[in-house]
Amino acid sequence: MASRRAAIKAIDWAAFAERVPPNQKAMFNALKTRSDALSARLAALPEKPPAIDWAHYKAVVAKAGMVDEFQKKFSALKVPEPVDTQTAKIDAQEKEAEKSTAEYVEASKARIAQYEQELQKLRSMIPFEQMTVEDLNDAFPETKLDKQKYPYWPHKPIADL
Amino acid sequence: VLHSTRSLHTAQQHWAPVPPLPEKGGEVRHGLIPEEFFQFLYPKTGVTGPYMLGTGLLLYLLSKEIYVINHETVAAATILSVIIYCIKKYGADVAAFADKLNEEKVATALTVKNEAIKYLETAIEEEKKEQWRVEGRSYLFDAKRNNVAMLLEANYRERLLRVYNEVKKRLDYQVALQTLKRQKEQDHMIQWVERNVVQSITPQQQKESIAKCILDLKALSKSAQAAV
Repeated sequence: MASRRAAIKAIDWAAFAERVPPNQKAMFNALKTRSDALSARLAALPEKPPAIDWAHYKAVVAKAGMVDEFQKKFSALKVPEPVDTQTAKIDAQEKEAEKSTAEYVEASKARIAQYEQELQKLRSMIPFEQMTVEDLNDAFPETKLDKQKYPYWPHKPIADL
Repeated sequence: VLHSTRSLHTAQQHWAPVPPLPEKGGEVRHGLIPEEFFQFLYPKTGVTGPYMLGTGLLLYLLSKEIYVINHETVAAATILSVIIYCIKKYGADVAAFADKLNEEKVATALTVKNEAIKYLETAIEEEKKEQWRVEGRSYLFDAKRNNVAMLLEANYRERLLRVYNEVKKRLDYQVALQTLKRQKEQDHMIQWVERNVVQSITPQQQKESIAKCILDLKALSKSAQAAV
């Protein structure tokens, strides 16, 4: 009976719900309802069926060996435990998730670093009052006028003015 | 503000960042002559020095006819006076207007910069939040495993219960069968005995038993009369 009782961990549904992003709430609700249905079904079933009163039957039933035979066969009977096919898959999924999570977190950190860098650049900029046009072009490259493409003033298409 | 203290071309040149322009331009007297000139002459000639110099120069030019007075002079005088009048009257407003234009440009640039900063900050917040969300993935897998375990357990219990119910049903059936048989045998026996007894009562015996019953009843009624 060691493989039975796969420990059923208590899940903090509230904390779980907090971490669900809004676009996956429907899936989360489906999971929760399924989980609740299963636990209700489990709670409704008794852990062990009641014991059969063999003495009483032995006294009552006239046919000689019948009750003894039943008793022998009953105690010899082994109810097969349902085989667990899914836990391995779930573990595999979890590993996958670990990997993709690590990747995502890496990418996220890279993005954060990039944002931090830009933020730093913006914060340490000299005030606009003290900038020359060249300084402005350095800080915001998009303001640079392309004098090769538009050699004549105003160095940008008229529509952009 | 006198800039006589500003030393020109002495310090190391710094091109960047460009030092901010001073708030106000150098002080001028009569709109033309810089204050530094008066300060320059003050130690030697005092306060009236530059004026004396100016007057003398003017008289020299006029008297020696180095500057000749003609129509141009009158024209120059009127034009200059009109110009000076206009500047005096509207100068401040025009300056304010030009400053406002510049201010607007700078303000737009500033708003753009602030928005960019805010956007970046919120982006960083969002990323951190997403990272926090991702940390909760263990919940999902625990829930899944729990579901599987619950399902297995429920099925197992169901099977046990089923076995028990089936065995009990069969045993109860045997017991019920037995009791039914017993009962039927008993009933049959009773009926058979009754039938035989009734058959064996001959008419003679019936008459005798009825006469005895009547005698018994009479005896009983005699003893019972006293109680009524």
